[in-house]
Amino acid sequence: MRPGPVSSLRRPVVLRSVLHRALHEHRRSVLAWSSSLFTLVVMVAAVFPTIRGNQQIVKLYDNYPKALRSLFGITDLTTGPGYMNAEIFSLMAPLLVIVFAVLWGGDLISGEEERGTMDILLANPISRRRLLIEKWAALAAGSTMAGAALAAGLAFASPIFGLGISVEGAAAAVVSVVLLGLLYGTVALAVGATTGHRGLARGATTGLAVAAYLISSLAGLVGWLKPVRPLSPWYHALGTDPLTHGFVGVHLLVLPLLTAALLIGSVYFFDRRDLAV
Amino acid sequence: MIASVPLPIDLQDVTKRYRGARGVEHVDLEVPSGRVFAFLGPNGAGKTTTIRILLDLIRPDSGAVRLFGQDLRSHSVEIRRRIGYLPGDLSLYENLTARELLTHFAHLRRGPPWSSIEELTARFDLQVDRPIRTLSKGNRQKVGLVQALMGRPELVILDEPTSGLDPLVQAEVHQLVRDVARDGRTVFLSSHVLSEVGEVADQVGIIRDGVMVAVEEVAALRRRAVHYVDVRFGGGVVPEALTTLDGVARRPSAASEVRLVVTGPLHPLLAVLSGAEVEDLTIREPDLEDIFFTFMSNNRGSPGDETGTRVVA
Repeated sequence: MRPGPVSSLRRPVVLRSVLHRALHEHRRSVLAWSSSLFTLVVMVAAVFPTIRGNQQIVKLYDNYPKALRSLFGITDLTTGPGYMNAEIFSLMAPLLVIVFAVLWGGDLISGEEERGTMDILLANPISRRRLLIEKWAALAAGSTMAGAALAAGLAFASPIFGLGISVEGAAAAVVSVVLLGLLYGTVALAVGATTGHRGLARGATTGLAVAAYLISSLAGLVGWLKPVRPLSPWYHALGTDPLTHGFVGVHLLVLPLLTAALLIGSVYFFDRRDLAV
Repeated sequence: MIASVPLPIDLQDVTKRYRGARGVEHVDLEVPSGRVFAFLGPNGAGKTTTIRILLDLIRPDSGAVRLFGQDLRSHSVEIRRRIGYLPGDLSLYENLTARELLTHFAHLRRGPPWSSIEELTARFDLQVDRPIRTLSKGNRQKVGLVQALMGRPELVILDEPTSGLDPLVQAEVHQLVRDVARDGRTVFLSSHVLSEVGEVADQVGIIRDGVMVAVEEVAALRRRAVHYVDVRFGGGVVPEALTTLDGVARRPSAASEVRLVVTGPLHPLLAVLSGAEVEDLTIREPDLEDIFFTFMSNNRGSPGDETGTRVVA
């Protein structure tokens, strides 16, 4: 009955929902990003014993211009949390998770439009609101996976390389990074859902994320930036060095609130516009 | 409360304008249930725009859109549950197999079991376990048709359903369309191929430049039909009486042959011909295309203006 040799056929996947299909379509991408993040954490952590024991390197960093140190979140390289914060959690990990989430978020709605599959998808009896929320849920799940990889990297590397990172610190840092990535992924989803343009969604969101990073990291040096610092999600997510200090105050709550507002806004606009052919 | 069955499709004064592109203007469209309604017009006339309005993919600037008696905008999901749709410009999930795509949509419809889908795939002889990206255009179109027809929707909307299909499969599609109507379900299909409309439709709506030009019964169109009569006379002598007959007009032709368009009964012509030296005689029913153009030019011309003399290329 089946054509061709059976060995050439993979087992059919049963996709029960839009959420399920979104996860299925990105399973390789999620896996690749997660394993890269895990590897990155472990490899950077592996260098820590060398840095800690080497006063020259520590001095070298101390001699960096203040602006550079501020830009790269360098505080205290001699402690495990300080080192990991400077090397990974102030820029690298959030940046990677943001890139991952923005690429995906920008594609979720507008990608289906640009590939022409939105018409046939929405001929099915599902509301646009449900479609958008399921797509977002896939993004949230993917970002959480990325966060889990970071957490696994810390849990694996900390005892081996003597980083001494507390459970609360690790949790706070990972949750911050995930919420920050998800926020920007949601921005990209919102722009894509509102305009139908994937390139615009990804480009504009990347621009916003970079601007917010600069505001957050340079505000300590540039006086006039200080008042606008609360506008930067980076500041709320990572400004308090969560790896060292754990969860601090209400800062972290700003991110899910912003994300929820964006999600509501994108449902509103997506539900009211004409879909592209 | 209301005894009459609500119309599957009921558009009243629907207008949709695009910046830089033509949409549709003041479209009224009523499609009763159990019929095959063909939406006919040249490419770019507004067929796809109208269809995408029916699926709630785009929203009209003004006018009322009711399907099954319900307002589309406020009952979008319920209404779409009762519709099967084949887009004109079909894009599918390339990395899924046909089976995966069809079961995915079946789940979204909380609908048809695989066994019922399989009846359709078998009918189309569709290989369901290959990734869609490896399928030919014709086979992709079959996947699109199967997902539109599965679960026996009450209203089937097909935008250019037979484009890219070979004639055998086209005939299969036409048969399916007729089967749907025989079930008492409704088919709304767009086409720019008139022969297709003649093949399957009960009713035809003609749209041009975003405006509905006419809605006609296909049977009525046929009744108004003319006949084409081609005669070759021995010795090239054309009887005088031929040109004076009512309802008979000449079409341009090669010198050796006389081509006529006859409106109404044929016997006055045959009476004349029986006394002439006829070497060869062909009578044929014009295809729907000829009828259509006759109809269109009739509509544009003054009333009573006989248009049998339309030049046939």
